[in-house]
Amino acid sequence: MTLTTPAGPPAARRRPSGFARMRTDGSLTALILFLPPAVLLFTLFVIWPIFSAVDLSFYKWNGYGDVTNFVGLRNYEILVKNSIFHQSLFNSLKLLLASIFLQIPLALVLALLLYRKTSANTAFRLIFFAPYILAEIATGLIWSFIFDGDYGISAMVANKLGTEPFYILADKQWAFWTIIIVVVWKYFGYHMMIFIAALQAVPSDLVEAAEIDGASSLKTIWYVKLPMIMHAIKLSVLFAITGALQVFDIIIPLTNGGPSNSTHSIVSYLYTFGLARMNVGFGAAVGVVLFALCVGTAFTYKRMAIDKGGQL
Amino acid sequence: MATLEFKHVNKTFGAVEVIPDVSLFIPHGSFTVFVGPSGCGKSTLLRLAAGLEEISEGTLEIDGADVTFARPIERGIAMVFQSYALYPHMNVAQNIGFGLKMAGKPKAEITRKVQAAAETLQLDALLERKPGELSGGQRQRVAIGRAIVREPKVFLFDEPLSNLDAALRTQMRVELAQLHKRLGATMIYVTHDQVEAMTLADQIVVLNKGRIEQVGSPLELYNHPQTLFVAGFIGSPKMNFITGEYASRLGVATFGVRPEHVEIVTSSPHWTGTVQFSERLGSDTYLHVDVPEIGRLTVRAVGDAALTGGETIGLAPQAAASHGFDADGQSCPVRWNAH
Ligand SMILES: Nc1ncnc2c1ncn2[C@@H]1O[C@H](COP(=O)(O)OP(=O)(O)OP(=O)(O)O)[C@@H](O)[C@H]1O
Ligand SMILES: [Mg+2]
Repeated sequence: MTLTTPAGPPAARRRPSGFARMRTDGSLTALILFLPPAVLLFTLFVIWPIFSAVDLSFYKWNGYGDVTNFVGLRNYEILVKNSIFHQSLFNSLKLLLASIFLQIPLALVLALLLYRKTSANTAFRLIFFAPYILAEIATGLIWSFIFDGDYGISAMVANKLGTEPFYILADKQWAFWTIIIVVVWKYFGYHMMIFIAALQAVPSDLVEAAEIDGASSLKTIWYVKLPMIMHAIKLSVLFAITGALQVFDIIIPLTNGGPSNSTHSIVSYLYTFGLARMNVGFGAAVGVVLFALCVGTAFTYKRMAIDKGGQL
Repeated sequence: MATLEFKHVNKTFGAVEVIPDVSLFIPHGSFTVFVGPSGCGKSTLLRLAAGLEEISEGTLEIDGADVTFARPIERGIAMVFQSYALYPHMNVAQNIGFGLKMAGKPKAEITRKVQAAAETLQLDALLERKPGELSGGQRQRVAIGRAIVREPKVFLFDEPLSNLDAALRTQMRVELAQLHKRLGATMIYVTHDQVEAMTLADQIVVLNKGRIEQVGSPLELYNHPQTLFVAGFIGSPKMNFITGEYASRLGVATFGVRPEHVEIVTSSPHWTGTVQFSERLGSDTYLHVDVPEIGRLTVRAVGDAALTGGETIGLAPQAAASHGFDADGQSCPVRWNAH
């Protein structure tokens, strides 16, 4: 390309304004054509439901007829005072901590063991990933069968050992632990896959350089591999957080929130006390709280872990 | 003191034999360069020396001690990778000091040694930077710094300069030569680059398909190539090879003469040919001349020969600087008197 000196006065050389440039290069046409559908869809399916949920949460409404019974903040007051809701919040917090501190380390260890490409590794990866593909409801049913004290596998084990049948899902102390175990079991494969993909992208000569530098395998993991996949770990934690706050369809078939409503998550609480009991306004209030929690934790986390690290 | 010796080393990847049988002695303090075409096994041989690949058969000795099964750290080697392989999340100081840290050296000692290495490599102003914030040449220096700070017995370089531009490469070449002189350590260096091989090496190892073709000093290889392969590989532009009836009249299968050993003569020419085109570099001119019944010859004329193509010129090879090779590609004498 050759540069020619402009013949006109200096004013003619001024950089064209954004709008003028868009008009000449055709991007304005593209904008007019493609922006409205996107805005429409986003409004219709994202913005509008959020606002209507916020709106609904100020009403007492059973799902039928007109929404007229305005109750102000009453739904939120009930929530704040409800001990079952407190328990549900606490349970969701436990799920969140388990996801971060049990599930992700487990996924990481397995990924480190299995990331190299061999046929045995592929087989193991598939096995560990299988729970993630399984539908949540099916997962719940399978595990409820395993834990069933009368007919399930735990019944068989108890029988063989000659002990009393053990109803772990009906045990207030242990029921939620089983839910945590099932949740970890179901989703660790997903995080493992993310880590495997990231580990495979670590240049092999970095690992070799560490070997030459005299790093043991554990030190190579600590000083080279983990820092190199930090972006994936951070992303995984974000998914784990948002996932943990939304656990629902594993709880329903396993315990259905019982015994005595001690194993609800926020979402199963919403479903049980909002939708199933026709308190749609109340359910909407729970939904708004859940949404705020999700957005709040996700953004806080993003601030703390991701933006500061400068990656992702 | 650090010598390195391959004894009947074989390397096989699965069913593929990459190095059939290599025996090679590398004396203390030598700068040994491995050259050869792409895929001939240079990197593999170097990685065998480093301990990054396992030797399939044979033994490797460093300083007379068998290190065939030793881990890299036990061999007292350091390696500089073509890609530099710097740890991107560590700054320059941490990159250089990583080996010392892994060796459990005290912090003060690490700082002191990193500082010293950085000074020799003119990196002292960059110690806080991450590799991503460095130029190619600076990264290369960090990679070398990481190697020298550990004071290894043997340095291994795998095409360390191939990602640099020509000017920087020349500069780094000089720096490497100085480094070798100052440290006096044994260095093994893999390269594609003729000039690097000829200028840096005191011993060149020419590899072809995993076999050693010839080992010798640069000028030995240039003046007395033992095989057709070495003759064609060392020297630029490439040696002229003439086969067929002309060669058999000289009692060889292939007659070879380097472009710089063919003279342009005005009286009693040995060959007469037509200049097809010329490459005028200023200091030299490469003439591509078609000689009937012999084929295309490259001729190197000193200075600007002012021939552009189409001219008919007379040529004569320097008999003393010509080479003969038998049907197996081995060097054999040229019988000029039979001519
Ligand atoms: N891990 C491996 N598995 C199978 N074959 C390999 C492996 N590493 C190298 N090879 C083969 O060994 C041969 C020699 O490879 P090597 O990397 O040593 O060549 P090289 O001389 O360094 O080439 P280049 O100049 O291109 O770097 C090649 O044919 C290559 O395909
Ligand atoms: Mg190579």
